[in-house]
Amino acid sequence: MIRKYIALLRMKYIEMLAYRLATLVWMTGAITQPLITMVVWMNIDPAQSDAFIFYFMAVIFVERMTSAWDVWELDREIREGTFSNYILRPLHPIHWAIAENVVYKALFAAILAPVWAIAALFVPALRFDVTGEQVLLFLAAVLLGAVLRFLLSYICGLLGFWITKVTAVYGVLEVISLFLSGRIAPLSLLPPVLQQWSIFLPFRYMIGFPIDIITKAANSHDMLQGFAIASIWIVVFVIALRWIWKAGLKKNQAVGG
Amino acid sequence: MESGIKEKPSGRWLSVRRYVRIFREFFRACFVEELEYRSEFLGNLISSFFGIGIAVLTVNIFFYQTDQLGGWTYADVLVLLGVFNTLRGMIDFALRPNMPRLLEHVRRGTLDYILTKPVDSMFYVSFRHLVFWRLIDVLLGLGVIGYGLIVKRYIPSLFDVLIFLITIAASFVLIYSLWMMLMTTSFWVIRIDDLSFIFDSFFETARFPIGMYRGLVRIVLTYVLPAAVITNMPALSLLGKWNMATAFIAVLLALVFLWLARRFWRFALRFYTSASS
Repeated sequence: MIRKYIALLRMKYIEMLAYRLATLVWMTGAITQPLITMVVWMNIDPAQSDAFIFYFMAVIFVERMTSAWDVWELDREIREGTFSNYILRPLHPIHWAIAENVVYKALFAAILAPVWAIAALFVPALRFDVTGEQVLLFLAAVLLGAVLRFLLSYICGLLGFWITKVTAVYGVLEVISLFLSGRIAPLSLLPPVLQQWSIFLPFRYMIGFPIDIITKAANSHDMLQGFAIASIWIVVFVIALRWIWKAGLKKNQAVGG
Repeated sequence: MESGIKEKPSGRWLSVRRYVRIFREFFRACFVEELEYRSEFLGNLISSFFGIGIAVLTVNIFFYQTDQLGGWTYADVLVLLGVFNTLRGMIDFALRPNMPRLLEHVRRGTLDYILTKPVDSMFYVSFRHLVFWRLIDVLLGLGVIGYGLIVKRYIPSLFDVLIFLITIAASFVLIYSLWMMLMTTSFWVIRIDDLSFIFDSFFETARFPIGMYRGLVRIVLTYVLPAAVITNMPALSLLGKWNMATAFIAVLLALVFLWLARRFWRFALRFYTSASS
């Protein structure tokens, strides 16, 4: 298994290098929306400006680290019938997707982390003072977030066996997550009802939760609760994924034949 | 020859009428095309409603923590959002569908066929393809404007509406010019697949009051890439906070940018050397 993964990782690494420019453009992602949201909050509460700068820069960073694109890939592959190539191979197709995610996110981290460090030299608001334990918890939360988002995206992609517009379904989920994941506002600034929803639904653990750890907005009780809920969602997603995969293969009728 | 000179004014009028007729023909052709995909209509309708609902909810979240944004009240921001949605609907209706096609024409060299048509090429490449269901966004935008005015309990005077119509027309010309200039760069940067991403990033800044931005960003958004003028001016007009000077500047700015876009298109065409052979 490890040998297989090394081969997959190398393959994906070479693939990534082939599209250097596209990768770079992609890395920046959609940064306008968080920046504008940041400006809005700085206007609402100027005294907290530095906190908002830190929060929304972290949103851009964490969002890239947990981003998932598999739904678009799967949608296209299932629709065009090329997905059959993967099904025929002895290794579950999800491993290709996992390897791809690992390679891209390692690159994102390797570039974005130094960028943050350099920016912090000039912008005091970006500096943070944390213990080693907090950093570990933050990284663990980012990993959980990446896994959650990946699973959700992959599940939606597999729905392509039944429906043709899975990207539209995923789009709706993305928009809901806009509020609940902390991209529009930090958890503490949301109206109480939305706060409740975001604590129990998976979206917050994809972006907002790691940031709350690094900014010390979450105390130890919040963290314990957060990790527990995120883990439960991962279990739910894994079970759902296995079940949909089995049912989907039965349903699958490759295009083109 | 003599009569030709004499008839110039009426000749120009004739050509306006001719272009209106051509536009109507584009309209009809695209409408027929779209009727083929009737089943998608419901989905598009739902997604448009969903989109505007989310935008209003976002404004509500901000105003849960404050009662003004850059000097604008909740109702004012709703009117602004309505203007934003209306203009975005117009862009998605007429401009966005044409962008990828121009890139394609330049890459494959099929722009030849357009250049040889007895129609103005800039007109043709920017309006040939229309996506009708996006007009729903225009209607929803107008709806939000209406709702904002009701919340504010303000009935615009006839003059407010008049200035609003003038400034929003200027905004559309301005957007069209900026869009056209961006689209024209496809003669050089055919590798970048989605130039509209750049435009969206910029246009997104027009969603909120300009008073929100500070320092350099504000100057850029007022004078260089006039996002402020595009949405803020029509919204202010409708709320009765206009003055003749700024309305005049908006119209002037629109005309200047249109002229620039036109010049740029002409300039770019000189660099076009077809693709084949």
